[in-house]
Amino acid sequence: MAQPDVVNQLAQLNSARNLVLGDAALYPQIVNGILPIVGANTRLELRRWGADFMAETFSSPVLATAQKEQLAPRVLQAIQEILLLPESDTAVLVSLIQTATSLYPLVFRHIVNHPEDSNSWETMNVIKQDILRRMDSFLCPVKICCIKFLQRVVQVQTPGLISDPRRPEQNETSLAIVPRTHSILAIPNLEAEASGLLDRLLGVFQEEVSDPLLVNATLNCLSPLIRTRQSISNKIINAVLDFYPSKHVRAPITPTTRVSVKSMERTARALLINLMKRNQNHPLFGRMQMYIERLMNSRLDVVDDASRKRGLPSEPTDGLDSAKRARLDAETPPLLRIPPMAPGPASIDKLFTLTQDIGLSSFDVKQLPPDLVVKIAVPLLAQVNQSLLTQAVDAVRVRYQTITRDQNLKRSQQHTAAVADDDDDYEPDYDPMDVADNTSEQASAVAAEVADLQPDLVSLGPFVLPQPPPLTEDEAAEVGRSAVSRVFNMINAAETDPSSAKGKTQQQLGFARLAGSTFDRDAWAVLLSRLATRAPAGLEGGVKVDSKRPTISDSIRQMLYRYVLEDFRGRLNIAITWLSEEWYNDRVQMKAAATQRDQSDEDEDQEPTVPLHYDEWVVKLFHGFTTYLDGRDIKVLVRFLSEIPEVTLSVLQMVAGLAKDPERVNLCVQALMYLIMFRPPAREMCLNTLEDVYQTYEESRPAAGKILAKWRPQNQPAEVNGTTDSTPAAPPAAPQEAPQEAPQEAPQEAQATAAQ
Amino acid sequence: MEAHLRLSAAAAEFPVISFGTGSLVRLPGPTITQPNVYSFNTTSYNQMWEELASKDERLYRSNGILNMLDRNRNLKWGPERFQDWVPGLPRVDHVSKGDKGALGTEAGVVDVIITCEERCWDAVVDDLMNKGNNLNRPVHVFNVDIKDNHEEALLGGKAILDLANALNEAAVEQRAVHGSGGWENGTGAARQSFDERVPDILANWQEKNPNLPALWTLAWL
Repeated sequence: MAQPDVVNQLAQLNSARNLVLGDAALYPQIVNGILPIVGANTRLELRRWGADFMAETFSSPVLATAQKEQLAPRVLQAIQEILLLPESDTAVLVSLIQTATSLYPLVFRHIVNHPEDSNSWETMNVIKQDILRRMDSFLCPVKICCIKFLQRVVQVQTPGLISDPRRPEQNETSLAIVPRTHSILAIPNLEAEASGLLDRLLGVFQEEVSDPLLVNATLNCLSPLIRTRQSISNKIINAVLDFYPSKHVRAPITPTTRVSVKSMERTARALLINLMKRNQNHPLFGRMQMYIERLMNSRLDVVDDASRKRGLPSEPTDGLDSAKRARLDAETPPLLRIPPMAPGPASIDKLFTLTQDIGLSSFDVKQLPPDLVVKIAVPLLAQVNQSLLTQAVDAVRVRYQTITRDQNLKRSQQHTAAVADDDDDYEPDYDPMDVADNTSEQASAVAAEVADLQPDLVSLGPFVLPQPPPLTEDEAAEVGRSAVSRVFNMINAAETDPSSAKGKTQQQLGFARLAGSTFDRDAWAVLLSRLATRAPAGLEGGVKVDSKRPTISDSIRQMLYRYVLEDFRGRLNIAITWLSEEWYNDRVQMKAAATQRDQSDEDEDQEPTVPLHYDEWVVKLFHGFTTYLDGRDIKVLVRFLSEIPEVTLSVLQMVAGLAKDPERVNLCVQALMYLIMFRPPAREMCLNTLEDVYQTYEESRPAAGKILAKWRPQNQPAEVNGTTDSTPAAPPAAPQEAPQEAPQEAPQEAQATAAQ
Repeated sequence: MEAHLRLSAAAAEFPVISFGTGSLVRLPGPTITQPNVYSFNTTSYNQMWEELASKDERLYRSNGILNMLDRNRNLKWGPERFQDWVPGLPRVDHVSKGDKGALGTEAGVVDVIITCEERCWDAVVDDLMNKGNNLNRPVHVFNVDIKDNHEEALLGGKAILDLANALNEAAVEQRAVHGSGGWENGTGAARQSFDERVPDILANWQEKNPNLPALWTLAWL
């Protein structure tokens, strides 16, 4: 009979298989030799064996792709023949479809590189169409393998990633490696077919009754598709997210239903977790997470077999249990060994010493440079063990409590002894004469007692701060200057405050205002100028010897000067305030000096002189900002000239100097005109200056001439010979002394402050 | 490993491969914080046995570790890690090493995977997805939740053998029914394929073993 023959043949085939499993190089030879034996029209056992072997061969990771490609055409032929028998044995079909699934990408790639081999592609297509056509009528095991076939076809016929365009042989097999002009493979058709097959693949999630086998088989093969095929991944994920395994479950719930629903739920969950682990930033991450949570929550109670789970065991059945589950990083808190406190009188040092290492406890940390200490201490503090710290603190607390208890005990014993002593001397009569004595006695007694009982714990000894060395004058001046600069910082800080509303109310106050009552910029400015002017009056003036040394008030003036010049347009009112203060102070000083002189008229030698500051600083300040004045600054200039308490000749000369610059001629003339019109005490002086300007600078003549014609018609020089060459008319003799203006001219501010 | 022993020693002589899913082989040590740690794939059970026997034979004998290692070293050369497994890679050498159950696994493929803890099942399903399903071969993945101690391992090993026997019976029936060309002769459950019967088989098994919660899916190698 044929039976022993078949058994013999199978034994031979098996030994051949063992050969190739041992050495993959033998595959081509063996496959070609076996194909005729196991092909179509042979016995079922041989067909089964052959189909299994083909499936194994083309999925083997040890057989090189190139060799598989080489073997493919003949095997394809054989598969086609067997399939079209038509084959009906499930086992053969299962293996054949597995083989076809493995072959599909191989053949596809082969055709991409060899468009001329249209035969292979046609055979592959016939096989594909046959599988797809019969898929729904196949038995379950075959259908499962068809799912995988579908997945593979979709994977191949969808564009994937080109990892390196320079090395096409390394790219994954996908639609992306097909050239646009390929003679056999039409990209749009293939892609359309893949799209249809994908719908067919995902259709399993929309079935009225979910077959757990098909659903699980589909879910488990989707991960590579989603990962490597960007264009279809969202569609697949959405299909999975719309799938609820327990949706269509109806009573009666059998154990099989439970197993099925649970397996589908867990597989869907596993797929999503697999995706979420790989891509934390997936756009659908949130929805996947929600889906997983909903799966967990919506599990039907009837399906859920939580009640059948074993409860937690009350105790491990043997000692191994917890040991095997031990996490390596879980540590038991180490125990701190606290030595008893060192003998002898207690001290804070001993109280806190927890180490027994003598070298360590006698080490003086102060020897280390602070930056090193910081470097050591910060990382140490960062990794202090909480439990160790608690133990240490507790240990110190216990020690401290022991000490205080002992001492309280000692003290109360001594106290009772003292009270017993005192009893004899106790005077119940109240004697007012004795009170003072008594109290002092008592106080000293108490002090002595306290001294006795003073715990050694705090025996630190008296500590006296050393007297600071006396400040030298330079140091004092330095300190003074730094104080002043701090006040200037206050001004700057106040300046940044947007307090326009406050400024308004302050302006409205007018005469009723108090200097320095509002802590705004102006208040600080007034304070500073008074510090500079009035505060040292009569103190610094007397010291004439070292006048070169800058006094504190001079340094304040210097700083005020600089401060105003930094932004003279905005800080003009500070300048005015300051100059008014200077002027007022000069007056007061002079008056005081005059009275002094009257009193000590006999001492002619020691005539008190008053250092005057106004003249010096007004010139300095004016000089400071005239350089920066331009033609449009007439308002600034006029305001300055009209509001300073006294216009001096030197100031006017500087105003005249502006006319040197043709652009500022008008500035000069208009400022002088304003003074002539509105500052009568200075009028003569200004007219003289204007005449001077008129004579000296030709550009000023048109403007200056008009004013002179109005105010000094008698002195009007002839315009006819008004050339620069002509010898200017001798200017009227300038007064030797600047005419003193009336005090009424002083601006309001100065008066207001003076009134305080 | 208890299941490996049971399955390979069973009457059906199941082909078996056994794996771990952790990062390292961890065995209990003298204290909870000092486990004995070995790497997968490169350490043999014999090496472990000898090392532990030399360290503290009394301790490791009393906690059963040496007995366990002795059982294992008679079963196979050393522990393998599932994540390092390449399905389809021939395992002919394991036959020559004398691993029990190696016969039938020469091609490096399996039909059924059984895990003994839910997190192992998760790890296996996840890893199979990561491997890319290149073999296009379906595989049934079961979990049988067994507490990890000597006693439960014995009970669980027996339960796993029961499950394997039930599955094998169905597979043999399928092959026989279709093999004789007598598809029309079969009736009822026998007409169903092996795959279709898996949920029923597991459900039946679960009824008999209510203390070992089970889980299943159909994945791809």
